[in-house]
Amino acid sequence: MAAASGTHTNPGVEHRALLAESVAHFVARATDIARVRRLRGSPAEHDRAAWTKMAGLGWLGILVPERYGGLGLGLTEMAIVAGGLARGLVPEPLNAAGVLATTALVAGDNEALKREQLPRMVAGTVLPALAWQERAATLDAGAIACRAGPFEGGFRLNGAKRFVAGAAQADAFLVSANTPSGVAIFWLPRGAAGVELALEPLADGRSFGTLTLRDALAPAAQVVASGAAAAEALALALDRAAAIASAELHGVMSRALEMSLEYLRTRVQFARPIGSFQALQHRAVDLHIQKELASAVLEDALAALDREPAPAARAALASRVKSRCSDAALRITRETIQLHGAIGFTDEYDAGLYLKRALVLAAWLGGGAAHRRRYAALEGVNRES
Amino acid sequence: MTDWNAMSDEAFRREMRAFIEAEYPRELRYILRRARWDEMKGWWGKLYGKGWIAPNWPRAEGGMGLDAGKMVIYLEEMERYGVARSPDQGITQVGPILMQFGTEAQKRHYLPRTLSGECIWCQGYSEPNAGSDLASLQTAAVPEGDHFVVNGQKIWTTLAHDATHIYLLARTDRQAKKQQGISFLLADLKTPGITIRPIRNIAGHEEFCEVFFDRVRVPRENLVGKLNEGWTVAKALLSFERLNIGSPRRPQYALRRLEMLARAKGLLDDPGFVDRFIALKLDLEDLASLYGRFVGRAKRGEPLGEDVSMLKIWAMETWQQLTELLIEAGAEEGVIAGVREIAGVETDFLSPFYYARPATIYGGSSEIQRNILAKYVLKLPS
Ligand SMILES: Cc1cc2nc3c(=O)[nH]c(=O)nc-3n(C[C@H](O)[C@H](O)[C@H](O)COP(=O)(O)OP(=O)(O)OC[C@H]3O[C@@H](n4cnc5c(N)ncnc54)[C@H](O)[C@@H]3O)c2cc1C
Repeated sequence: MAAASGTHTNPGVEHRALLAESVAHFVARATDIARVRRLRGSPAEHDRAAWTKMAGLGWLGILVPERYGGLGLGLTEMAIVAGGLARGLVPEPLNAAGVLATTALVAGDNEALKREQLPRMVAGTVLPALAWQERAATLDAGAIACRAGPFEGGFRLNGAKRFVAGAAQADAFLVSANTPSGVAIFWLPRGAAGVELALEPLADGRSFGTLTLRDALAPAAQVVASGAAAAEALALALDRAAAIASAELHGVMSRALEMSLEYLRTRVQFARPIGSFQALQHRAVDLHIQKELASAVLEDALAALDREPAPAARAALASRVKSRCSDAALRITRETIQLHGAIGFTDEYDAGLYLKRALVLAAWLGGGAAHRRRYAALEGVNRES
Repeated sequence: MTDWNAMSDEAFRREMRAFIEAEYPRELRYILRRARWDEMKGWWGKLYGKGWIAPNWPRAEGGMGLDAGKMVIYLEEMERYGVARSPDQGITQVGPILMQFGTEAQKRHYLPRTLSGECIWCQGYSEPNAGSDLASLQTAAVPEGDHFVVNGQKIWTTLAHDATHIYLLARTDRQAKKQQGISFLLADLKTPGITIRPIRNIAGHEEFCEVFFDRVRVPRENLVGKLNEGWTVAKALLSFERLNIGSPRRPQYALRRLEMLARAKGLLDDPGFVDRFIALKLDLEDLASLYGRFVGRAKRGEPLGEDVSMLKIWAMETWQQLTELLIEAGAEEGVIAGVREIAGVETDFLSPFYYARPATIYGGSSEIQRNILAKYVLKLPS
């Protein structure tokens, strides 16, 4: 990144300003809604040239330590980029690859694999995806039925993974499975023997991958993490990605609310801008409050998560922020359609695109209700005191 | 001619059910999008052949002449089997309007053709700048000899691309106050100067359209009601439309799908889910009670009153919440597009959610219905 001007004393503040500037620039110049519409539902799903550009801006290395070629920054910085891109509905899988999968590798204990793959991931030449989930509606990365049996000094994997985000163009999958001595994460290149990928189309024009493993082989060198380190790497990756998904939801709801407010100011019915009707003013204010609550919890949660709290506190923070941001984004994007009237129900108008992205981001890595359940369990509200 | 009203409710229901099950195409059951004419014309022909195409029309005009009670059974049985809605504006709107306001010649010409499906109608009321404020519409019809010359644009015209005819509101007096200079016209969509452009909705289907009028010559005899009194004509049917749209049937269907899925996925063991599910179920049961009151009024031939707007608000908003809970119950699977089998239940999570969105926009938005209730029922100062 460009050298800082020197007026700030806190390098974090400088990084943040630069990142905000570069993401605004990217959203203004390198992408637009026409591109988003072109790519939705296409087999490619996103654009590798855009991915390379994002790598060039350093974004894929935000969460990668400097010794592996990254920037060694935190979630606060990643949220600036992810939230900004979400405002433009950018389809590239920054969170799925640059947060979820990247965190799992970084937090793993395979130093050689990190030295080999992280620089490539940062450069955008290797695009990873994390395949942790097997059934819907769970936040438990330890709920694993996939098996990895020892085989010729390595492992042989069987089972199926679902809801793999960013799978369409993934070059490698980080797959969790149970070995006889506990959970482990394996690095499986796309197209390896016994690794089959199917895609399920999503509301927002992207897809979830289903990965079927039939005697897929992973040499010992491809074990990303095992035992307690693997379990912790998965839990950390999920919490961090949930926080960044919240930042994306915030970007989506912010842009949707702006669209609504612009429309309330300009659409005239009964010889007045509809924004002059008190019923709609109060609605807009309620939505604004939701957005502000989301932005406040997001800022606090990101800062707290960057201080690397213990796992239970970390999970509670992730749940708190994902719960608010999911529900607020769904409410705001639904109301965006209502406030626009019939035009909001058309495909040509962008309101529907924001609603659909909010649906997917809210469901991915646990919706509001799932996170409230987990929060209750973590905070012990359902235990006798 | 059978007097259906003289039949017992049970016998009528049985006969309907048997007919529907025998004749309605299976592949068109429970589709959520609006069915296209090409898909529905076979079924239309079957209903027409049996004399069942127009339950609301008097028997003398070729309808079934059902009273309010039998009408509810008719609609319930259609809904129960998942019969899609045909392009039925001719039956629900144009027929009753012509019977009340049409000339003898209009009735003689259009009523039989509307029954047979030779005339398929679409509703040209809304315009780009006249939605909730319909009376501000600008499409103009200028008398010129024995014709009106129509210029302007309609929008959100549902299934205009399947229709043969349009009934529209146009301004015939620019000087008069808003509602007073509007007339109700019928036009053949093949008339030169009419262009139709379909618009895709967020569910991915082309169901509504823009309809452009460029110096379109509409014969004077196609004026329905008096010149400049089209507003009265259009308003005449509104309260019955709100009764129909405010019935609990559509949300009940969403509730049943949700219950099947919840049972299959074991969600009924989750007290948090059960609380929300039962709250919505009771919202619907109570709606059914409220709806019953209004049906009672209709049966007794009493005016429905402005408070019928409550039904539409509650039915549509409950329906929306049910579709939201369905998506939430699906979790990650709830945002995957298309029809899929989830725990043995054929489920499409997204389409019901998409189609429930505009239910609080069309037919008078929820905001407009609340304005009506505040003003005419609660009589709050404006
Ligand atoms: C699926 C669908 C099918 C349709 N089919 C037809 C059809 O076949 N024929 C036809 O003629 N029309 C049709 N319509 C159009 C429908 O009648 C209009 O959408 C409706 O009248 C609302 O108008 P609008 O869309 O222009 O929204 P607007 O009137 O611009 O409203 C925008 C927002 O402002 C709110 N608002 C407006 N005025 C007030 C107020 N005074 N106080 C508080 N809030 C207010 C509205 O509730 C809405 O939330 C259809 C619409 C849809 C969505």
